[in-house]
Amino acid sequence: MAEAARVNPLVPMTGHIIKIVEETPDVKTFHVTTEKGKPFTPMPGQLAMLSLLDVGEAMFSITSQGPEHLELAIKRVGMLTDALHEAEEGQAVGIRGPYGNGFPVEELKGKDILFIGGGIGLAPVRSLINYCIEHRQDYGNLWIIYGARSPADLCFKGDLFNNWPRVENCRVDVTVDKGDASWQGHEGFVPAFVEELQPDPAGKVAVTCGPPIMIKFVLQSLEKLGYKDDQIITTLEMRMKCGIGKCGRCNLGSCYVCLDGPVFTLAQLKQLPNEY
Amino acid sequence: MLKIAKDKLPQLLQAWAAGARVFVPQEKDGTRVFLPWDGQGKLTLDEGNTLEPPKDLFFPRTETMYRYQVQGQEAGVTEVPPFDAKMVLVGVRSCDARSFAIMDDVFLTKGYVDEFYRRRRENTRVVALACTEAAPTCFCTTFGIDPGRAEGVDVQMWPLADGYLLEVVTEAGQELLEQGTGLLTDAGKEEIPAAAKPGLVVDIDGVTAKLQRMFEHPYWTAVSRKCLGCGACTYLCPTCHCFDIQGENRGNSGYKFRCWDSCMFSEYTRMAGGHNPRPSKKERLRNRFLHKLQYFPERYGKFACVGCGRCLDRCPVNVDITRVIREVKEVTL
Repeated sequence: MAEAARVNPLVPMTGHIIKIVEETPDVKTFHVTTEKGKPFTPMPGQLAMLSLLDVGEAMFSITSQGPEHLELAIKRVGMLTDALHEAEEGQAVGIRGPYGNGFPVEELKGKDILFIGGGIGLAPVRSLINYCIEHRQDYGNLWIIYGARSPADLCFKGDLFNNWPRVENCRVDVTVDKGDASWQGHEGFVPAFVEELQPDPAGKVAVTCGPPIMIKFVLQSLEKLGYKDDQIITTLEMRMKCGIGKCGRCNLGSCYVCLDGPVFTLAQLKQLPNEY
Repeated sequence: MLKIAKDKLPQLLQAWAAGARVFVPQEKDGTRVFLPWDGQGKLTLDEGNTLEPPKDLFFPRTETMYRYQVQGQEAGVTEVPPFDAKMVLVGVRSCDARSFAIMDDVFLTKGYVDEFYRRRRENTRVVALACTEAAPTCFCTTFGIDPGRAEGVDVQMWPLADGYLLEVVTEAGQELLEQGTGLLTDAGKEEIPAAAKPGLVVDIDGVTAKLQRMFEHPYWTAVSRKCLGCGACTYLCPTCHCFDIQGENRGNSGYKFRCWDSCMFSEYTRMAGGHNPRPSKKERLRNRFLHKLQYFPERYGKFACVGCGRCLDRCPVNVDITRVIREVKEVTL
């Protein structure tokens, strides 16, 4: 169906899910494109409003992109995500964006980057990891520390165990809260694993995302290791409707997470009300 | 300065109604609201401000944005064009006129222009009516608003015993009054009546700075204890602009609309999965007051309250923003 240019920024483009990758029992990655190709070209850490027109619309991080498509890794948690998980390849969707500030890719140039992810929280961080790998010469050493509840719950296994470890000067450490019979790797929570690995803060920036409780303790671990507030970056999640700073609900103080976020340094977050 | 006799005003409204939709305060169900003028209604211009602010004329309670069809795996979206009709708003008080400037900041600045709002706003002429009497809940002067003269309007009116004085403010206002030739006379020696003097005045000085240090203060628990979370304050507020986007689905097709929402409801911030950054009425009421008095001033350089008094007049449990301002200033940190 041909589409006219939009007058209203809240009206989505229509597109299709062209590929679905099952990451874990409750996470799938959806590849989305439109008739005109990639819906838009986001920067790492930016967001997209994805909808099933007859179900609903919600904001998701864009975990990766190709020349012709966007990738959104989505956990099954509610009405819309249930319906998305039931969908098959070829399903029509609505999509609009990109929204938000994204990661500060310019300021990160030349630095070593420590990525700390938990569960589905790796999804937004992955967009930056892949960006740094694509622009390998612009960034220093990459170190990815990732954990999930169980081996089955590890997202992006192909990247974790095959792609990323092969990248030059890229280290990957994986843990699970509780292993199973076949698990040979590390067992334990992410914050403790970080303290065990002791990544040196010198010349580094830490980028973390995961469940709120993990973030809370990761921040404590990083502080213990000597990371300063402006060396720590995280990306937040909030309920959003408009994505353009008008509908009101995603505010943190006078900031709108959809517009001024979702990426904040810990130094910035400490200036804002603790309401996330 | 021009004058119109009270009994001629309906004719002036009629003249404007020939080229635009005219909205003017009229009686409905025992109260006063802005309604379209059809020549029949009972005008209530001399009876104080309307129960509801006129914000829904720029930002309707519900507004359809697009329609969609879903056929198997295919889907199409048809955008609903913005409302393009001309409107004339008559009898807007100074407080509500200020609220338009506040809504403009939200919908027209900071990177994105809301086309629906913009078209309505630009196609609307505003005829203000000065207040010569204040209600007990009025406190517009607290925010530097002059009840005797509104900001950003096209025509200013003042009530007289037997009619209204009218002053042209903008070129568009001039055109409006030209349509009233024959109904309007020169005001001669008529004097502009004295503006109302609201008895309710609060000292707003320094309140933003104080609130910046009060986020964790136990005051918010105390003040929110009686709140019922009904949201009446937000629906009656001329500057509350939060909205939701919802859909109505029938079979293979449906439409998406945006509608007013309220930060007083728990659903407002609750995420899929259950996490809610503002889980109780304490956080929600705090956010409402901080938004009006701290966050909005930080983001847009002005308070998001115009002192119209509707929320304190209608709150079922007497949560009173003027009292909150006073108490905030007295709280020890």
